[in-house]
Amino acid sequence: MSASASPQILNRVYDFVDILRDANVSISTDEILSLCNALDHTTVDNRRIFKQTLQTTLIKDYTDIPAFEKCFEQFFLSRERDERIEEIQSEALGRRPNGEGLSAAENRLEHELGDSMDSYLDSISEKLLLQKDAQELLALFMEEMEQAGSSGGMGIALFKTRRSMFARDHSEDEVPATDEERELYGRLLEMMRGRSGKRRIGRSIKNHEQYLLNKYIYQLKPHEIKEMREVVKRFGQKLKNRISLRKKRVKHGGIDVKRTFRASLQFGGVPFKIFHKDRKIDRPQLVVLCDVSSSVNQYSRFMLLLTHTLQSLFSKVRTFAFIGNLVEITGLFMEMDPERAINSIFNDTDFTYGWGSNYGRSFDQFMEQHSDSLTKKTTILIIGDARNNNQDPGMNSFIKMKERSRNIYWLNPEKRHLWDWSDSIASLYMKYCTNMKEVNSILDLTEFIDRLFIK
Amino acid sequence: MFTSIDDVVEALAKEKYISSEEIATTVYLALKMEKPVLVEGPAGVGKTELGKCIASALDIDLIRLQCYEGLDEAKALYEWEYAKQLLYTQILKDKLSAMLENEKTLSQAVARLTTQEDVFFSEHFLLARPILRAITGSAQSVLLIDEIDKSDSEFEAFLLEVLSDFQVTIPEIGTVTAAHKPFVILTSNNAREMSDALKRRCLHLYIDYPTRKLEERIVSLKVPECGQKLTHDIVKAVHKIRELQLKKEPSISETLDWAKALVVLGYDVMEHDIAVSTLNCLLKYEKDIELAKKHSKSIFIE
Repeated sequence: MSASASPQILNRVYDFVDILRDANVSISTDEILSLCNALDHTTVDNRRIFKQTLQTTLIKDYTDIPAFEKCFEQFFLSRERDERIEEIQSEALGRRPNGEGLSAAENRLEHELGDSMDSYLDSISEKLLLQKDAQELLALFMEEMEQAGSSGGMGIALFKTRRSMFARDHSEDEVPATDEERELYGRLLEMMRGRSGKRRIGRSIKNHEQYLLNKYIYQLKPHEIKEMREVVKRFGQKLKNRISLRKKRVKHGGIDVKRTFRASLQFGGVPFKIFHKDRKIDRPQLVVLCDVSSSVNQYSRFMLLLTHTLQSLFSKVRTFAFIGNLVEITGLFMEMDPERAINSIFNDTDFTYGWGSNYGRSFDQFMEQHSDSLTKKTTILIIGDARNNNQDPGMNSFIKMKERSRNIYWLNPEKRHLWDWSDSIASLYMKYCTNMKEVNSILDLTEFIDRLFIK
Repeated sequence: MFTSIDDVVEALAKEKYISSEEIATTVYLALKMEKPVLVEGPAGVGKTELGKCIASALDIDLIRLQCYEGLDEAKALYEWEYAKQLLYTQILKDKLSAMLENEKTLSQAVARLTTQEDVFFSEHFLLARPILRAITGSAQSVLLIDEIDKSDSEFEAFLLEVLSDFQVTIPEIGTVTAAHKPFVILTSNNAREMSDALKRRCLHLYIDYPTRKLEERIVSLKVPECGQKLTHDIVKAVHKIRELQLKKEPSISETLDWAKALVVLGYDVMEHDIAVSTLNCLLKYEKDIELAKKHSKSIFIE
């Protein structure tokens, strides 16, 4: 398949692909094939060219580029970077890094050991993998193998290694380890170090992202919030892309008069070809009502961030914020970035009316002033904890809202067991909602939005 | 044909296109591997320009297909010229009746006609649209499919055959395979994501805003009247402005506009007041200009 790229280079590249896959970047066999072809045409001597060769063939989604860069840096440019690059370079010249060749039997043994090491590393938990160093992992692996019991060459190799390990731990022991045993141990440790290191790179990147996405918003530290915004942006973009692919086709569209007529002109007005209106863009009209009161203070910024994400995802979104007073903030969000918009919302707008949030009054206001935003196609999203401070729940308006829209979804940032506790009237509203859902991390939200489109 | 990556950089530089090593690597690989390239990146970083410059650097034809919503097969691949077919049928009426004169029954006439009907579905009546033209051309060409993200997702499906096998299947005629495989460049502004099938067939190139050094070189190449000092100041300011939270970040073409404007106005150093009064060359939204003015001290003075 590939003439100049030696097996050693390819092995390195496969390792790298594994890392990328661990970091949640999807790579198909096709892409690996084209990378192999590409390696025939470029050199590995120049780091930038080598990197671009990998990037251009493997990474097809630009939102994955940051992850690729991190992986590349850690895999090729980390503490072992010079070794790795040099190794590849010396391979390119046809030299083996260690000089002497291994016998076929040794090769096979190493293969077998490598395979069982791989399956062992697959079986252990991520936590263990990220916490233990290579030596500890090797010790654990040996233990595991001992229990499983193995025979033949592999068994002997393991036995010898164990002796060497033992001798190292108890240096005054009467039976010193032989050179061969020590060498074997060294080789196994090297294998384990390579393998566990490789796994760590991809997973730690993915884990960090997952960790941010899953974390409760109010627990995030300032520097994490900044990272979070990046992740949200990336996620938002992915979501947007996915949604735009999901344009729906209508089976029996009416005739597209404009197009048909235009096409008929070249046949002297005979409608030779008929065009149908065949596509409907299934973009829901959204109305978002967001509670920004102090009872949800730790959430409210987050919720506004979510709302902002929503608004940038869909073209027909109207956004309202309320505490006791309801204010439309669509325009604000349109012209500012979320951070500044949110600041100016709290500075310039007077949401207060009486004390605390007043859902009832806000719903009344909404129906009075903004009911024109509701049609049979509208989906209403309410983000809030339904803590109405024992005021009139405004059920009349709420029911009207339900009647005049397609769906009402309520995203509640509170944990489910706290619903209805104290002044929360969640279940009162829930009766009239299409669904009320606990949403307190970005991941929850994306899941929800995703489902909004699959029908 | 380019012989090495450095060769690509040089050849493009001759066409006044300053490419980074990354861009050159992808272009070189794509040509060697005969694969299409999907170029993505923010507006105004020279995606379309890249296609044009490759064509002129290789001294081959550029066939450009601008995508838009509703672009269909008929406009991109090929179309039967119904009008011409009708016209010819009219003109050849006598010939046809003469030919069918000897046939006694209707079915015999139809059978006779069938032997000739290929005439009306031959290449004479086929209107080749950009993609078919690129495939059937007598020499290699650059096929630039611009702003593919503006087209509908069905259109991508038409492209797949072209992108992977460089061929087009026309039901009435058969499969047309390229004698000279065109070099295909697709550009996208990320309005929507391309399908995985399409991406798999392409190499991917993401062109971001250039680094300061690169942008300085671009400005001094395209606006040579602009002195070294001014170029330096302009690019530095633009890079600072890009860091602000803007509605639309200034692209390379806007940097060039600004540089030209300052040259026309006869300045050779950047001063705070001059910069602020000419910001409208760089920024296209009132809000953005206001924002830049607010930060003007830190952008233009330090």
